[in-house]
Amino acid sequence: MRKKILVVEDEEGLRLLYQEELETEGYEVITARNGREAIQKLEEGRPDLIVLDIVMPVMDGMEALGRIVGKDRKIPIILNTSYSGYRDDFMSWVADAYVTKSSDLEELKAKVKELLEKGRGR
Amino acid sequence: MKKVVTMLLAGGRGERLYPLTRDRAKPAVPFGAIYRIIDFTLSNCINSEIRHIYILTQYKSTSLHRHIQLGWNILSTTLGEFIEVIPAQQRIDEHWYQGTADAIFQNIYTLQQEKPDLVLILSGDHIYKMDYRKMIAYHLEKRADLTVAAIRMDRRLSKEFGVMEVDEEGRIIGFQEKPVDPKTIPGDPEGILASMGIYVFDTEILVRRLIEDARSDSTHDFGKDIIPSMIQKDRVFHFDFRQGDREGTGYWKDVGTIDAYYEANIDLVSVTPHLNLYDPNWPILAYQPPYPPAKTVLEEEGRTGSALNSILSNGCIISGGNVRRSILSPKVLVHSYAEIEDSILLSGVDVGRHVKIRRAIIDKDVHIPPGTKIGYDLDEDAKRFTVTASGIVVVPKWIKL
Repeated sequence: MRKKILVVEDEEGLRLLYQEELETEGYEVITARNGREAIQKLEEGRPDLIVLDIVMPVMDGMEALGRIVGKDRKIPIILNTSYSGYRDDFMSWVADAYVTKSSDLEELKAKVKELLEKGRGR
Repeated sequence: MKKVVTMLLAGGRGERLYPLTRDRAKPAVPFGAIYRIIDFTLSNCINSEIRHIYILTQYKSTSLHRHIQLGWNILSTTLGEFIEVIPAQQRIDEHWYQGTADAIFQNIYTLQQEKPDLVLILSGDHIYKMDYRKMIAYHLEKRADLTVAAIRMDRRLSKEFGVMEVDEEGRIIGFQEKPVDPKTIPGDPEGILASMGIYVFDTEILVRRLIEDARSDSTHDFGKDIIPSMIQKDRVFHFDFRQGDREGTGYWKDVGTIDAYYEANIDLVSVTPHLNLYDPNWPILAYQPPYPPAKTVLEEEGRTGSALNSILSNGCIISGGNVRRSILSPKVLVHSYAEIEDSILLSGVDVGRHVKIRRAIIDKDVHIPPGTKIGYDLDEDAKRFTVTASGIVVVPKWIKL
């Protein structure tokens, strides 16, 4: 069965880009425009992994990260942001990976693949 | 100078202290006439020059909040000092705290704001006098990731404690939570090293271990989950309570049951109690409402107001009654011909004429009608009050007699 990825990203262009690229990799992709929508999506069905932007309107990624883990401890989460400064933020350590956005999506794709293969057997 | 933030866990339900914990969390239970249990831990903090304190509450916290607000508004916000109560906010999880580790994890945003070097984790459930600075110094000297305070306990009590095994260096190499068959202290087959629930953590390690724990199947408890997992991979040391014990006697009481609570209180009326409340260099601070001084009145044949071997708080009036070996909290009234022996009366209790009370705990504001006998016929008392195995009668708050 195809793995399902939830992409949380407020910028429409990027959202479409991630969706297209990840679908090309063979994943099923659903999207949300902010943290609050992401939590709603989570209630509709569990994705296998979440790609989460940090700076977003309505509910940002840091706040959403806590709520998501509060609902589902084991879901793998990748923080995907233009800013590296959040790495010092304790809450960002809750995520399984921290990827700084770039035009090249190879790092993100590699992390997605790695985390899905590893699973969260802990 | 390292920056230390204290997280004081004050969510204990204290179910075995019922009915004293019916309306309040365990740290808010009165102790020693004018104190609450939490006052001892908070006084330790202040006396150890620790002034960045968060108190984490959840169950039945109104009484505790009020007490902190009234009695502990003593630090300087200008200097960045604080004692701040944080109720369970359900910011991450929509549940109550699931364990001691979860309580800290749920407040990770607060730790983020402060970004201390070290986190001191305490519980508001115990009565003892300890200089936390000594434990912090030891933690730094050992370059530890975690230091756990330890006290020698009788091995028969192992089911109530986290029990540790240590090497010659002081490093913890084994940790079992409430074991039936504990590892005893080398050379002391009747003794165990029990965890006091006092931890000094390197902040970064704490956060990383809390996150790992939060993201796994676990009971989210320091004793059951965090410490056992850390002794494998981190530098975990024990700190001998005797090195930081202000009393020098090893006094550390859990007062987890009514009987233990009664004994620890009543000990204070002895000539030399095990707990010294008179150390001028280690004051125990408490909220003291502005009542007038205690007094005794009337001196007639058979109607003399007197108190012997007892503790009387402000606002008490002993009017023509007798009080022996008892502890009276503020504003207790004892009317003529009443006799009180070996008892603990909490604030606002009114004892009517000809009342006889012995071996009892009377909770706040109870009015005892004239002629009532408590503690003289335990079968009769058990019909309306709590009576413990050793025969202590507890009259609950709000009861109408």
